[in-house]
Amino acid sequence: MFLDPNSKWAARLNPVLFLLPALSIYIIFAIYPTVSVVEYSFTDWDGISPERNYIGLENYRKMFSDKIFWEAFRNTFVWSGVILVINVGLGLVIAAMLARVWKARLLIQTCIVLPVVISPMAVATIWRWMYQPNGVINQLLEGIGLGALARPWLGDPNVVLYALAFAHSWSTIGLSVIIFLAGLQAVDEDLYEASKVDGATPLQQFRYVTMPALRPVTAVVFILTLTQSFKVFDIVWATTQGGPIRFSEILSTYMYKRGALENQYGYGSAIGVALLVIVSVATIIYLQIQNRKEQ
Amino acid sequence: MRNYFGAAAALGVLSLVPAAALAQSEVVVWVAGEPGQTTIYDELAEAFNASQSDATITIVKNSSDLFNPALVPALSAGEGPDLFTFGTGPGQPAALIAGGLVADLTDAYREHNWGDTIPEGIVVQTSSDGKLWAFGNEVETTGMFYNKAIFDEVGISVPTSWPEMEAAVAALQEAGYDTPIGLGAADKWPTSHWQSMMFGRYAGPEGIESVLFGDGAWTDAPFVAASAKLQEMGQAGWFGATPVAIGYGELMDRFWAGEVPMTFTGPWVIGGGIEAAGDRIADYGVFAVPPFEDGQAIHPTNSIGSGWYIRDGSDNKDHAIAFLNSMFLETDGRVALLNAGTIPVGPLDEALAQAEMSQLAQDIWQTSDDHAVNGSVPAFLDTITPGSLTTVSYDGLQGLLLNVMTPEEFTAEMQDAWAAAKAAGEIMLPGGIAE
Repeated sequence: MFLDPNSKWAARLNPVLFLLPALSIYIIFAIYPTVSVVEYSFTDWDGISPERNYIGLENYRKMFSDKIFWEAFRNTFVWSGVILVINVGLGLVIAAMLARVWKARLLIQTCIVLPVVISPMAVATIWRWMYQPNGVINQLLEGIGLGALARPWLGDPNVVLYALAFAHSWSTIGLSVIIFLAGLQAVDEDLYEASKVDGATPLQQFRYVTMPALRPVTAVVFILTLTQSFKVFDIVWATTQGGPIRFSEILSTYMYKRGALENQYGYGSAIGVALLVIVSVATIIYLQIQNRKEQ
Repeated sequence: MRNYFGAAAALGVLSLVPAAALAQSEVVVWVAGEPGQTTIYDELAEAFNASQSDATITIVKNSSDLFNPALVPALSAGEGPDLFTFGTGPGQPAALIAGGLVADLTDAYREHNWGDTIPEGIVVQTSSDGKLWAFGNEVETTGMFYNKAIFDEVGISVPTSWPEMEAAVAALQEAGYDTPIGLGAADKWPTSHWQSMMFGRYAGPEGIESVLFGDGAWTDAPFVAASAKLQEMGQAGWFGATPVAIGYGELMDRFWAGEVPMTFTGPWVIGGGIEAAGDRIADYGVFAVPPFEDGQAIHPTNSIGSGWYIRDGSDNKDHAIAFLNSMFLETDGRVALLNAGTIPVGPLDEALAQAEMSQLAQDIWQTSDDHAVNGSVPAFLDTITPGSLTTVSYDGLQGLLLNVMTPEEFTAEMQDAWAAAKAAGEIMLPGGIAE
């Protein structure tokens, strides 16, 4: 299958041959569907008919004047913002604290990571149950004297998006913590020792040693969290289907409704392309900022 | 050595027998429902499989949410089920028919005398361009399920007028039942049953038909009035403080647990209710929601619900038709359906004589029959309107309950979606079978 290492072309072709199986799978299951979605976005295809007519930018024109698209767009940004704050911000703090814990560290780590391996549908079921008006959360709040905070979490337009974002973060923050922990293990202990000699407090150590040292890892966690949060579908669909009304409608659920439920595949594809562009632009901007800081 | 020759000769002979004569055809049937639900179709398939030898029915269940999104790509790929259930009426199957994905059943209709069983009104909902596209097999209805024990405890009886209904709800609230009428509006579709019933009450079946097939509009006064009434009930706490935070499943659990006095739903809950409530099932009954206004008639919803379609190009079309006949035309199948609380279309006398329907099922059909003379609402609106209108209705009904949308805004959004679907050619004009 591979060329003789001594042959003239081996150095150039063997790496390509090694890559070929993975590359083929990537092209078939990632690149081709993405290109197809872009193509569909320029058509009026209903997902059923054998015919699809090219209508140029009509779907995009419609999208920009679609008020529900903009509601979903806004919700998606709020959703991702909340998840980024929790998964990156809180994830880093938890990892930094865990790095200093020796007793029962494995147990705590396991507890934090465990939700990551639970299927999203199960996560949705768990939280749907906990968020019920007479569910665990409200009972707990009443039990500790904070009954005034109890509310119909998934039925209150003002909190539903935040409640679902929190549930999503609960199920994904473990991954951030693990990546940060791995990064923390690579930070030179001498830096902490030196800062201690200089009289730095633990908070200052975190600010001036840990955070700068973790900048590349933070970029990875940020991008992973951002892309994950933008493409989330299942937890929202299985709990509220974007409701009440459209208060938890995010771009992925709106794309599904338009494309799969209303047989507007062309328009749904345009929303999918918009989602792709938003994530790509946000990632590029973030990486640019990081690069400038590095320089 | 002689044994080897014998085996080889036997294999040679077998290879001459056509493969079809040896293998049974597998007829794949998709029905909407979770595993453990709609078990009646498993029973009917088992009975069919036992009765003949050249085809096997395999029932595949997909959850309602994922049914259409899974079905459409499967059909478009030229694969998918041989036989499947799908929405009917002017809105939902139009794209499937236009896309050539479903088989024309007109010949089967004539050959098997389906017209003796399927009422003309249902044929109208399942045909277009003079061709029959689906077997409209059953009638679904809705009624107010109530807990007799709670009614006795509070000292109220079944209301027969709107003032009595208001008094009953007030008494229940007074007695501490914060949700007099359960509504799992987080799932959106349960509220649509209220919508279909109330639109039918305020506009009459002819008012709904005038929108579906004529020049009527969802913004017409009766639909606005019905929406306003639903909102008024919601604001008065009839459905509890937060119906949009409660899912249908959770609501039904609470209802069968005896925590909720009433809920408006259909006979499909009866099987689960018998399982959940056990001996207490005798505590439950059904009544027709009284007229909302003076002089208003009760129009029961007799929805065709889904119809059965055969995939165009299926090699098993004849077997699929045989299975439909066994389920909906033959007495054994009809009896099994009745026992499961499903009412097949057509005359029921023979099947009813043999059926052992639960009391609750008998009650709900009795309430429907009692008022059928006034004319029936032909369908649950969300099962026959295009997906775009269904989405708008579902969201808008939550908007009404949350009081963030006026009845006028709600009906205007419905009308906009309906007009857009019409303009896009997504509405089929049913019209019966050509002579």
